[in-house]
Amino acid sequence: MSLEDNILDPGLAAEGAQQMEWARPFMPVLAEAQASAKESGALVGRRVGISLTLDATTGSLAQALADAGASVSVHSTAAYTIDAVAAALTVRDIPVYARSDADAALDSILLDRFVDGRIELLVDDGAHVTRHIHAKRTDALQDLAGVAEETTSGVRPLRVMADEGALKVPCIAVNDAKTKQLFDNVYGTGQSVVMTLLDVTNLQMQGKTCVIVGYGCVGQGIARMAHALGARIVVTEVDPVRALQAIHDGHRVAKLESVCPSGDIFITATGIGYSLTGDHIRRMKDGAVISVGGAGPPEIDLGGENPLQAAGLARAAVRTIPIGDERSVFLIADGECSNVAVGEGNPIEIMDLSLAVQLYAIAYLAEHSGTLTNDVHAVPAEIDDRVARSALRAIGAELDIPSPAQIRHAASW
Amino acid sequence: MTQDLNMDIAARSSIADPSLADEGLLAIAWARRHSPVLNGLVRDELADGTFEGKRVALVVHLEAKTAFLATVLADAGAKVVVAGSNPHSTRDDVSAALVNLGIEVHSSRNSSYEQWEADLLSVADTEPQYIIDDGAELTVRMAKHRPRLFDRLLGVSEETTTGVARLRTLHSEGRLPFPSMAANDAACKHMFDNRYGTGQSTVQAILKLTNLLMAGKTVAIVGYGWVGRGIATYVRGLGGQCIVVETDPVKALEAFSDGHEVSNMVAALPRSDLVVTATGGMRAVASRHFPSLKPDAILANAGHHDLEIDVDALAEESSSRVDLRDGITQFDWQGKKTVNVLSSGALVNIAGGLGHPIEIMDLSFAVQGLSCRELVIGDYEPGVHVLPKHLDDAIARAKLVSEGIHLDSVDDDQLDSMDQWLEVNP
Repeated sequence: MSLEDNILDPGLAAEGAQQMEWARPFMPVLAEAQASAKESGALVGRRVGISLTLDATTGSLAQALADAGASVSVHSTAAYTIDAVAAALTVRDIPVYARSDADAALDSILLDRFVDGRIELLVDDGAHVTRHIHAKRTDALQDLAGVAEETTSGVRPLRVMADEGALKVPCIAVNDAKTKQLFDNVYGTGQSVVMTLLDVTNLQMQGKTCVIVGYGCVGQGIARMAHALGARIVVTEVDPVRALQAIHDGHRVAKLESVCPSGDIFITATGIGYSLTGDHIRRMKDGAVISVGGAGPPEIDLGGENPLQAAGLARAAVRTIPIGDERSVFLIADGECSNVAVGEGNPIEIMDLSLAVQLYAIAYLAEHSGTLTNDVHAVPAEIDDRVARSALRAIGAELDIPSPAQIRHAASW
Repeated sequence: MTQDLNMDIAARSSIADPSLADEGLLAIAWARRHSPVLNGLVRDELADGTFEGKRVALVVHLEAKTAFLATVLADAGAKVVVAGSNPHSTRDDVSAALVNLGIEVHSSRNSSYEQWEADLLSVADTEPQYIIDDGAELTVRMAKHRPRLFDRLLGVSEETTTGVARLRTLHSEGRLPFPSMAANDAACKHMFDNRYGTGQSTVQAILKLTNLLMAGKTVAIVGYGWVGRGIATYVRGLGGQCIVVETDPVKALEAFSDGHEVSNMVAALPRSDLVVTATGGMRAVASRHFPSLKPDAILANAGHHDLEIDVDALAEESSSRVDLRDGITQFDWQGKKTVNVLSSGALVNIAGGLGHPIEIMDLSFAVQGLSCRELVIGDYEPGVHVLPKHLDDAIARAKLVSEGIHLDSVDDDQLDSMDQWLEVNP
C-alpha cells in the first residue's frame, strides 16, 4: 500500500477547507495562542504530532501549530475521522494518517506510520499513542520529548504508568486545566451528548427518566442539559462526595441496579470500563435507550454472566439489543463515545478553549521538557489565566481589578 | 390485504422508488414504538367500525410519524390516500413502505411545485370524504380546482394555525359547506407541539447545523408566543441568555416576568450572536435591521412563514453569498460584515432537522385522529370546530397512563360549591 493511501480522498480538500473556514470566527482563543507561539518562536522546526478526533477544530489546531513554525503531522482512528479535513490538511503539506474507511489492520498501519515521523511533541487523546509507543514502539521514545494529554481517560493510565515507574516522557494533563475540564467536559460534552441522542432518535427529552452513570464533569454537564430539556435525572455514583453534589444540584441519586427497570435513557459518563454491563441491561424496560458520554468500549459491556447478543439497526446509529421476553433496548453508536462517533463532537467554541490550552501546553513543553520529570504535570496556572482572559476579551466581558484595599485585606489575618 | 390489491395500490400510487420500502418500514416501526397514544387510545376508539370503508385523505409532512397515523386509520378500515404537505419534507423510503402496506401514496421528495400540486389533485381525484390537512393545502386546492368534489367533502381536520385561518376565511365567505376541526386549537396540540416540540427541535437543529455551543450565547428571540416561549426555555436551560423582542405588551411582560431581558430590535441585535424568529408574521428581520446585526450573527427561523427573515433583501444587499456548510449560507453584507442564515430562512427545525420529536406528534396526531372521528360520528354544522374537551383530556390521560402516571380525582367535598362556601363562612 502506498503513502497516498494515508487519507481517503485528496479531492475532498475544498470541502474540508470550508469546514475549517466555518470554525475560524468561533476560535479566537486559538488564534491568539498561535500568535503568541509564533512570536516566541518556541515551536519553530519542532516535530509535533497530533492524535485527536480529526474534525475542523483539530484541523485548525494543526494549521495553527504549522503557522507557528512547527512541523506537524496528524493521526486519527477511522471512527473519529472526517476525510474532508484530512484532505484539506494534506494539500497544505501537513501529513495526515487517518481514513474513515480503515479497518483495524489499516488503522494499526496508519498509527505506525504516524509514529515513524519521529515525533518530539505529542498531542494525545486517551493516551493511545503514548501507550502504544511505550508498549510496542520504544524506538520512538528516543525523539519523544513530551506529551500533552487531552482527556480524563488518558490522564488516568498515564498516572498509573508514572506510579509504576513505566512512564518515560514528561506529560502535561491538559484535561485537568480549568479552562479545559470545567468547559469542555461540562458544557461541550454535556450539550453534544444530549443533542446527539435526540438527533439520532428523533425523541423528546421532556418527561424522560434519564439515568446518568457517573457524576464527574461530563456527567454533571449531561445532567444539566438533559434536565434543562425537561428530563428527570437519576444519578448513580460510587464516590460519596459527587453523589452528595448531585443531590444538591437537585437530582435523585440511586443504585444503578435499582434504577435499571425505571430508566428511559441511560448515559454513562465514567470513562471506566464495565460501568454498565449485560446484567444491568437485562433488567431494563423495553425500549430503553443507552448511550456513552464517557470513553467508549468497554465502558458499556454486553458481556456478564449471561452475555447479550446485538441484533440489527433499528435506525441509523441505533442498535437493537434483544434482552429476552420480547423486550429490546437500543444502544447508540454501538457503545462508542456517542457525540464524536455519530455526532459532530464538541461545539467549536469549546474546542477553541481546549485546543488553545493544547497549543500553549505544547509550546510550554517545547521550552521546558528538558527540565521536567517523567511524570504527569499540571498545566501551569498562567496558561489557564491567559486562555480565560483571551476568551473573555473575545466575548466582550470585562473583569474587575482588585483594589489596593481588597488586596491588603485578602493578605491580612 | 391480498397480493392483487397491493399491486393495484402500487399501480395507482406515484412515488419515487418502491425498493426503499424496508428502510421506511423500520422508520415507521420506530415511530409506532414511541406513539403510545395513537397506538392505544386512538386505535381503540377507531376500532368501532366508524371508519369502515370511509375515504380519508392524509396530507401532512410525509415522514415516519405521519405514516404511522396512516396505518392506524387504515387498520380501522379507512381507505387512506396520502400525499406530502411539502415536497421537501417527503421521505421516499416512508412512501415506499406505505405502498408496501397497501396504502395509496402520491408524493416524491423535492418534486417541483407543479408536480407536488398534481400529486395533491391526484389525491383529490380519489374523491375523499374526509381530509386530515396541513395548512389546508389540499382543502383550498379542491375548492379551486375540484369544486364538485369539494362540495361532496364531509369534513376536514386541520393541523396548523395557518390552515385554521384559511378555513375560517372560507367559512366567513360562505364557501365552507362542511364542518371542520381546528386540531391546532386543542390543548394537546398547541401546548405541546408548538412549545416543547418546536422549542426543542429548533434549538436542536440550530446546534446541529452549526456545531456551536449554546452556553454563553446571547440569543434574540423575536416573538414570544408558544413557539418563542419554548425556544427561550431551552436556550436558557442550555446556558444561553435570551433577549426577547415583542410588539405585544402582554407577551413582553410575560417574557420579562419569566426572567428574560426584553428589548427592541435595534437595541437587541448588536448584542445577539443568534437571532431566532418566531412571530408567525413576515419580515421580522428585514432590510432596516441589517445595519444593527452583530458581525458573524446567525439568523434562524422557527415561525410559520419562510419569509420571517427577508433573505432576498439580504442577498440583494450582499456582495457575496456562499453555501458554507449544509444548511448554512454566508452573506457578505455590503462588504462590511458576515451574516449567516440557516436553512435559507425556511423553518429550521423541519428543513434543517428531523422535525418534531415522535412523542409530540403522537399527541398532535391523536388530536387529528379523534377530530376526524368526531367529524364522522358527530352532528356538526358547517364551520370551524374544536375537539371537545373530554377528548382532549382523554388524550392527556392516555399519555400519562402510558408513563405509569395515574391522577387523583376530585371528591365532592373538595368542590367550592355555594353550600361549601356557606359552611366555612357561616
